[in-house]
Amino acid sequence: MNLRIHDYFERGKKVKIIVNDETIEAYEGECLSVVLFISNKKNLRTSPKLKENRGMFCMMGSCQECVVLLDGKKVTSCNIFIKDGMKVKTGNLNEL
Amino acid sequence: MNFKKEYDVIVIGAGPSGVKSALTCSKKGLKVLIIDSNGNSGGQIYRAPPKSYIKKSEKTLEENLIQLKFSENLKKNNIDTAYNHTVWQVSPGFKIDAFNENGTIQWNTKNLIVATGTYEKIIPFDGWTTPGVIGLAACTILLKAHQTIPGNKIVLAGNGPLLISVAYYILKFGGKVDAIVDTSSKFEWIKSMISLIFNPKNFIQGISWILKIILSRVPIYSNSLINKVSKKENGISIEIQNIKNKQIKKLTTEVLAVGHGLTPSTDISRLLKINHSYDDLKGGWIPKLDQYFRSSMKGLYIVGDGAGISGAIPAEDKGELAAYALLKDQNIINEKEFTNKTSRIIKRLNRYEIFAKGIAKLNFTPKDLINNISENTILCRCEDITKRDIINAVNNGAKNLNQIKSWTRFGMGPCQGRTCQYSVAKVASEELKCNVKDLGYLTGRTPLRPFPLDKAIGDFEYDEITKVEAAPL
Repeated sequence: MNLRIHDYFERGKKVKIIVNDETIEAYEGECLSVVLFISNKKNLRTSPKLKENRGMFCMMGSCQECVVLLDGKKVTSCNIFIKDGMKVKTGNLNEL
Repeated sequence: MNFKKEYDVIVIGAGPSGVKSALTCSKKGLKVLIIDSNGNSGGQIYRAPPKSYIKKSEKTLEENLIQLKFSENLKKNNIDTAYNHTVWQVSPGFKIDAFNENGTIQWNTKNLIVATGTYEKIIPFDGWTTPGVIGLAACTILLKAHQTIPGNKIVLAGNGPLLISVAYYILKFGGKVDAIVDTSSKFEWIKSMISLIFNPKNFIQGISWILKIILSRVPIYSNSLINKVSKKENGISIEIQNIKNKQIKKLTTEVLAVGHGLTPSTDISRLLKINHSYDDLKGGWIPKLDQYFRSSMKGLYIVGDGAGISGAIPAEDKGELAAYALLKDQNIINEKEFTNKTSRIIKRLNRYEIFAKGIAKLNFTPKDLINNISENTILCRCEDITKRDIINAVNNGAKNLNQIKSWTRFGMGPCQGRTCQYSVAKVASEELKCNVKDLGYLTGRTPLRPFPLDKAIGDFEYDEITKVEAAPL
């Protein structure tokens, strides 16, 4: 199934981003956390004590669960929009 | 945009209520700034798609049209807009500190309208931290704003009207709903639908959504909750339990979207230390306000669902009422004009509140949901604090939420307790056999959102640093 709905809006041009050394295709301007979620990259960061995987959760900048490293800096991926060649790292962010 | 340093009115939150109040103030000649952390107006309910999405002419979504109207009206009325700006501090007087991707900015105003809306209540269960489990509100945002179905197979769970609306949109967009797990009974739905008659538009919409779900033969588990979720290869496994007969049903799916209603965002009102009261029908703690949405602090007005959950349409009325109160307090309109403008709105708002109360009953958190949380379940996701940690703190003498916070570190992580405060309070009140309101609420703290220190400091040369003389020994 195509999870992207193309009926109502035209998306930006197709670009590539790099997630942990793997290349993923996306459309320019799409939301980073959404792209990661539907590209089956659901594990974004690990929790501080138990080192459990965590991922996108609230989508409104409140819960802070969707934090990833973008070009070396910690950001909430729910308010980041795709640009060609973005370098994203996920996992235990404090040890990357 | 070239911002001014000082505005007559600053509105935080560009949802239906914030936009309405900004427009009302601006039409009377006041210089207004509206701030929002999203890239456009609309709030969460009419959230705009990302900037790069271009609308096709042949098909439109109603929400999108409303959002476009908001943007157009703000522009037409010369209201300054600070989109993509996140407020991290509000000080009395008022000083508003915000950040965006370039750095920080501060604005001043004598009149502040807070229209920051709500958060979703999500009552924890075993495995709710598993990636692939998301909020129902998050699911709505994915569908409506990002035009994306979250997965090939989705289970929806929780309670409240969002459950039906999310299911409807997934089906409308060609997706598949594996099951709906509803904490409420079918009887509770019928009771609430009766109150919907006061709001015919929503009533007809609700009926048509439910019909679509029934016709699509989506299995509905009423009186049921999610017992447990665990990671499986290519998906997640879910255990559903019937509250009444305790029967268990297992499902494998890709995404679980779960939500238990909304709770007002009180970050700013708690920070400004105004009084709050507890009202389950309005979503939990709400700031104490008069009927025109004035707070106890001069110049501070709190509107929209953040003043108590009642929905997007009444939110506009609340925003308009507060704006007229502000205009009267500033002697811009006289008593006569104020009464003329507001009496009609108050009547309409009171009618809506009947409808809102009916819906609010579907948002109640049943005790079964709280009691079903196992002791090993994480309540505070930021700091990995379990239900057992909370119970231990309570048994060791912590008597209110702030004490439980000091004891356990719950609420000290980056989300500042926004995700877990509601459920921690419910768990503690069950353990202490007391009322939730007796536990108080977390003291408001800055920064309201985490942001990197380098953003606060900005770029500067060594010469620009003000050197302070060393203290004499």
